[in-house]
Amino acid sequence: MENFTNSILLPENLPEIESNTFNLLDKKYLRILLLQNLILYLLLSGALVIFLLLTEQKPPIFITLSVSLIIVLAVGLSLAITVLGFPKKGYLVREKDVSFQKGLITYKLTTVPFNRIQHVEVNQGILAKMYGLSSVKIYTAGGTSSDLVIPGLPVDDAQKLKAFLSEKISEHE
Amino acid sequence: MNKPDLSIPTRQSVKGLALIFIISIRQAIKMFWPLILILVIQNDIFKDRLVVVISILTALILLVVHTILYYLNFYFFVANGEFVLKKGYLRKKVLSIPLDRIQSVNTKQNLIQQLLNVVSLEIDTAGTIGMELKIHALENSFSTELQTLLRSAKKEKLDWATDELQEKTEAEEKLILKLSTSDLLKIGISQNHLRAGLIIIAFGFQIFQQIEDLFQEKAEEYSNELIGFMSNSSWALIAFLLVFFLLVSIIFSLFRTLLKYFDFKLLKKEDTYRVESGLINKRNVIIPHNKLQELNWETGPIKQIFGIYNLVFKQAVSGQNRRQQVVDAPGCLSRHLELLKTDLFGDEQLSLNPKIYSDSYYFRRLWILFGWLPVIIATPFLFSEWRFWGGVVFWLSLSAGYSFLILKKRYFRINNDQIRVSKGAISHKWEQMKLFKIQSVEFRQTIFQKRRSLASLHLTNASGTITIPYIGEMMAKQIYNYLLYHTEISEERWM
Repeated sequence: MENFTNSILLPENLPEIESNTFNLLDKKYLRILLLQNLILYLLLSGALVIFLLLTEQKPPIFITLSVSLIIVLAVGLSLAITVLGFPKKGYLVREKDVSFQKGLITYKLTTVPFNRIQHVEVNQGILAKMYGLSSVKIYTAGGTSSDLVIPGLPVDDAQKLKAFLSEKISEHE
Repeated sequence: MNKPDLSIPTRQSVKGLALIFIISIRQAIKMFWPLILILVIQNDIFKDRLVVVISILTALILLVVHTILYYLNFYFFVANGEFVLKKGYLRKKVLSIPLDRIQSVNTKQNLIQQLLNVVSLEIDTAGTIGMELKIHALENSFSTELQTLLRSAKKEKLDWATDELQEKTEAEEKLILKLSTSDLLKIGISQNHLRAGLIIIAFGFQIFQQIEDLFQEKAEEYSNELIGFMSNSSWALIAFLLVFFLLVSIIFSLFRTLLKYFDFKLLKKEDTYRVESGLINKRNVIIPHNKLQELNWETGPIKQIFGIYNLVFKQAVSGQNRRQQVVDAPGCLSRHLELLKTDLFGDEQLSLNPKIYSDSYYFRRLWILFGWLPVIIATPFLFSEWRFWGGVVFWLSLSAGYSFLILKKRYFRINNDQIRVSKGAISHKWEQMKLFKIQSVEFRQTIFQKRRSLASLHLTNASGTITIPYIGEMMAKQIYNYLLYHTEISEERWM
């Protein structure tokens, strides 16, 4: 391997990652994301209402209105980004690596080669449990910055992916 | 002491009893200080001398018993290719780690340990139990034996196929870099005084407040006088503060550098570096070549005058003890740097490849971030006084200059097995790594970058991330694909 000299000047021979070949996440995962947004909205507006009820000196109506407007706008924006960005989210498993892409405004594509994975975990949050979804977390060595999470997978798929990846890891040990 | 036999369970040095005792006193105080505080405040309990003496004695006896039990139940040994550590008497704990998973074996010595002539030994793993694999008191000769044994045991396992390495095991340790006190003085002077200064200001401010509380009346008297004097000569005040600040900062830096890097030695033995340094807290860190992820070096305007580079060896981090895993040489000369680079990365080939700069659009983004954004936020204040507009012009040109400096230093060189990234603004920093050390690659593109066909790359290894911002989209994709291919066919051990 030491004498390997495939110059970077001839990149057309290298396998490429096509972003349209990615597997989309389960549709139900969008509902979870929207629910999360809604919960955040309820918390924010709840905090505002409680503040207005408890405070002695009522702030001017102008400020109250603009704060509520900002909350509504922020939530609207975040909902729009969630809905529009959802089709951008996806994962891809190739022969030798696993990738995840996301992002409407900032597109991010991350790839971890199988021979660098330390271990794999399947997680399930409360909301995800209600919809029968799981996420697969892929750990690499060192800090957390290179860990890869694939959310919004049906429980069966997540288990299968984990089993597949675990087998791939053991091949490299 | 004889050669230690690692297969039989061994206890720490007997001298360790004293050390464990001190550590447990410290722990006990840490745990019970609120209780002690309450007892001291309600001092009517202390009227009876006997009660005090008896309670202190009981506490001490308990601690002594704890120390002895802890000592007697603390064993370590090697069995079936695993390093095993047993500890605890109430709650028994067995920690075991396969020898080939051990990242490095380090020793440290604080003042008490120096007096007792023992060292503490830490075993670093890439996992999370690393913190617990710590032996507080080992006989000095014993620890070097253990260190070499652990290392050679590991080596045998790794290189069982190559016989040549076996012969070399007895190779002499070679001194690569040694810093004398005068070197350290130079290094201390060339430190980043702005940062040191800020620490001092934060620290000094606290002390000042405490002093103020203590001597409030007198201090007010003096400070009024001082303020009266200073306000008459505001330029004198500024000049005085500047000189004072600089002096304190230099002294502080000198002191810190001397303390931390006293008698600094970088030694090499086969494929392993060893770093020794410290005046009060002595450390001894071992860096095997294959565990090293990245070599960073840095120089600044003042450092350049002395021809000094600051070196950092980056090893795999395990999350919790992130800071311990970074080994730095505060100063080395360019010939030392060249030697290390050749040693780690082979003959210099990267300089044959072109410097690839970040796109000039990167400057615009930096300028918006550092220059325009603060100005826009400050707009409401601008209308109060015309003089602020001068400040705006000044700030914008300053931030433009700064962003320009960043852009000029942001480039990288890549060939088919290494990458070197250059960055910095006023100081200049380089990061070099072998490409197969990569464990994940990220391609990032904002919608603004997409319009200009630009993208950024984030290359992560086990010690951190190297960023290549704002390069051509095509090039970023090609590098991305190449890096994955290169890593996936690599069979070298990367950590």
